[in-house]
Amino acid sequence: MNKPNTFESVQPCSGGYSLKTDLRLNAWLAVATAVYVAILILSKRHPEWSPLTRGLLMLVPLFPGLFYVRACLRFVRGMDELQRRIQTEAWLFAALGSLVIGTIINTLNANGVLLGELKYGLTIGSAFIVTFVLWLVGTIVANRRYK
Amino acid sequence: MKNQLRELRALKQWSQGELADKLGVSRQTINAIETEKYDPSLPLAFKIARLFKQPIEEIFEAED
Repeated sequence: MNKPNTFESVQPCSGGYSLKTDLRLNAWLAVATAVYVAILILSKRHPEWSPLTRGLLMLVPLFPGLFYVRACLRFVRGMDELQRRIQTEAWLFAALGSLVIGTIINTLNANGVLLGELKYGLTIGSAFIVTFVLWLVGTIVANRRYK
Repeated sequence: MKNQLRELRALKQWSQGELADKLGVSRQTINAIETEKYDPSLPLAFKIARLFKQPIEEIFEAED
């Protein structure tokens, strides 16, 4: 019987760590990050590039990013039914939580309450961070429920 | 849902990890089923019944 995927297999400090599984899951993330950094450096060295060229180049890391999404989906599909349920709960919590936080920030912003970084609402970068943090919290809470 | 999984596993002298390997699930899933925090899907319940050679209703009992 095949062993189901677990998060322990991609956590280097845990007992069940597997480099093969980790690479299968995270290799495309490393490629996307490397491509992004390379394009950022190139873009800074060539200020003469048009905004269109710059914009199109900045979209290139999305392609390895899509392969990373595919690797994540495959990883989740390889989990057993309880782990999949935990992930569904965690992602639902993260998605709805991000929407609620975004709405609160934008409402406060529309009424002139917020200043500084948040005065333009929730940026895409901060939305990523908020979603990731909420997913982490959701995973921990759901894991505890079934411990 | 109540179940007899812990008792059946003890009869076979399997650890939770061994049973998990036989069923292709994680040890956490076996523990969650035994402690009745999680009800398995129908395919997994059938797999458990087949492994212990028992009718499914002998292992799982619905709570009214």
